[in-house]
Amino acid sequence: MEYINIFIKSAFIENMVLAYFLGMCSYLAVSKSVKTAFGLGLAVIFVLGITIPINWVIDHYLLSENGLLGIDLTFLRLILFIAVIASMVQLVEMVVEKYSPALYAALGIFLPLITVNCAILGGSLFMVSREYSFGESVAFGLGGGFGWFLAIVAIAAIRERIRYSAIPAPLRGLGIAFILTGLMGIAFMSLMGIDPAAFVAGK
Amino acid sequence: MAETKVAQVEKKKEPLFGKKERKLLVDPLNDNNPITVQVLGICSALAVTSLVYPSLVMAISVIFVTAFSSLFTSMLRQYIPKSVRMIAQLVIIASLVTVVELSLKALNYPVYKQLSVYIGLIITNCIVMGRLEAFAMANKPWRSFLDGIGNGLGYGAILLIVGFTRELFGKGTLFAGSPLEWKIVGPSAEYLINTAGTGYMNNNLMVLPAAAMFVIGVIIWIQRSWNKKLIDVS
Amino acid sequence: MESNSQIIKFMLVLTSVVALGLTALRQVTEPVARLNEEIFEKRAILLAIEDYLGGKTVDQLTDEEVLQIFDNQVQQLVVDAEGNVIEGLKADDVDFAQERKKPADQRKYPIWVYSNGQDKLYIVAVRGNGLWDEIWGYVALKSDLNTVAGVAFDHKGETPGLGAEIKDNPAFRAQFKGKRILDDQGNFVGIIVRKGGARDPEHEVDAISGATITSNGVTNMLIEGLKAYEPYFAKLRNAG
Repeated sequence: MEYINIFIKSAFIENMVLAYFLGMCSYLAVSKSVKTAFGLGLAVIFVLGITIPINWVIDHYLLSENGLLGIDLTFLRLILFIAVIASMVQLVEMVVEKYSPALYAALGIFLPLITVNCAILGGSLFMVSREYSFGESVAFGLGGGFGWFLAIVAIAAIRERIRYSAIPAPLRGLGIAFILTGLMGIAFMSLMGIDPAAFVAGK
Repeated sequence: MAETKVAQVEKKKEPLFGKKERKLLVDPLNDNNPITVQVLGICSALAVTSLVYPSLVMAISVIFVTAFSSLFTSMLRQYIPKSVRMIAQLVIIASLVTVVELSLKALNYPVYKQLSVYIGLIITNCIVMGRLEAFAMANKPWRSFLDGIGNGLGYGAILLIVGFTRELFGKGTLFAGSPLEWKIVGPSAEYLINTAGTGYMNNNLMVLPAAAMFVIGVIIWIQRSWNKKLIDVS
Repeated sequence: MESNSQIIKFMLVLTSVVALGLTALRQVTEPVARLNEEIFEKRAILLAIEDYLGGKTVDQLTDEEVLQIFDNQVQQLVVDAEGNVIEGLKADDVDFAQERKKPADQRKYPIWVYSNGQDKLYIVAVRGNGLWDEIWGYVALKSDLNTVAGVAFDHKGETPGLGAEIKDNPAFRAQFKGKRILDDQGNFVGIIVRKGGARDPEHEVDAISGATITSNGVTNMLIEGLKAYEPYFAKLRNAG
């Protein structure tokens, strides 16, 4: 129940893009069509869901003072996290290419982009600062990824629609995308204050 | 692209700070601004800009990281094996960011607290990685260093404009949290413009993260109305 | 193509240089950072008794002055859930965020007792949940252990301009001064942050508009947090 709670919270209420503006670069660059946005979104769910639990294990058993080494190495956290993310992305890319060429065709080009997607590293850093347990970090990874997926698909759909609207020329493309994201952020704020626990329990 | 041209003309004698070097510094401020034109490094830009002071600290940190990561990558560019290029670059960036984090913790703890995870997120600030790939891997150290500084400045300029707008209209102060706090608009005699009794209220929208998106949207609008060649034709 | 051994060699050299450099830097900065963190926490505590610091605001105090106040004017103690003082522990050593995760009867509660000659103030720590994440604060009580002398709040991630006002808005904090945590019969009631304006001038303050959940969070935090200290306070009141 706790896990569903965190999943819903991280997907809708504390949406990575709309509440924390993480992963903005690829969010704006790859949201011109719904199809590519869909692919990138799936890849993000995938990578967040894998890297956050792995980084949790690294943080607790390697870097923390109470870990296996017994020394406080938390200042190396950034380097280790990003190394894990970069190598996981590469590994995922190889595995997917070998076993599922169809999925690779859909995700392949986006995977390298994901290493420098702030949402991925941001997810791991939030995991640390919020002191999640292992199970919670899995739920948070999947939920956060799903929220990111939703946001990018939504903005891509809007951008496809407004392509033929009469927008002032200087605002076309990037400018209007910023303003739309701001509006979506405010719309998502109306979800805040919803207690996911009550929602799940059907109260 | 402008950069490849610069790279080709690299012959004869190179002045330490000639026209091309100047261009490297100035170009990112307008024509090739990392945020409003290249769409890079937006994540960390938005979350910290509700006040000017943290924006300033963030801008300085990013300039430091872009400049030195470009310098080191350019110095090592012949030795970095192709297959681990990205990881090697990330190690360089991540250690520079750790340097920033550790120094900030020792120099200004309250601001470190305020910026929290966003300091770490400089690593994935795509400006840094983007400049390494596009410029530093193919150019000499000095020029890469300047390119890094230029892009850091272009990024910092937008950050400060956004921070300035949001703090002034959202809180009525400037540089709050620093020793130089200015009180501009507010309902007491402490402020430069005393609004007590006039019914003026601070614009709460500006404090919300979404306001950063609006402000950047408007900056893009103004910049492109004035610099027509940047208009998106697609 | 490079050979694997070359790649491994390069990465080994790079990472060891980087790790060595960073370790050295950390060794240099660590003591300063520790001290900064300590002063940061202490300033947060002093914010609750800002009116009693001899005319200076917390921001105006230098780092040395902060440490001096804690050395000379603050007595630290820790009590358990039954209100017994635990000998040999200092309030600063209690990680209250961790205590909150334990079962209620095993928690340790820190108290800082500040005296400046005229007043003796009891500062206690409270912690609860806001809208997004944890909120916490310090409440200073006068020596009657009933009247509030001041409060200071902080939060992990409340919405700027709304919930975050519990920390950023001095007017919100100022409302708490002079409120009472006990009713006339001496029963514990706490302080309520009331949406739509305070009704009971003794025990209620105005909520922040637009931040109902954070305001309710503050109410719950104050009721639960202060109640936890009641066993100890009751002993003091009975004794004195």
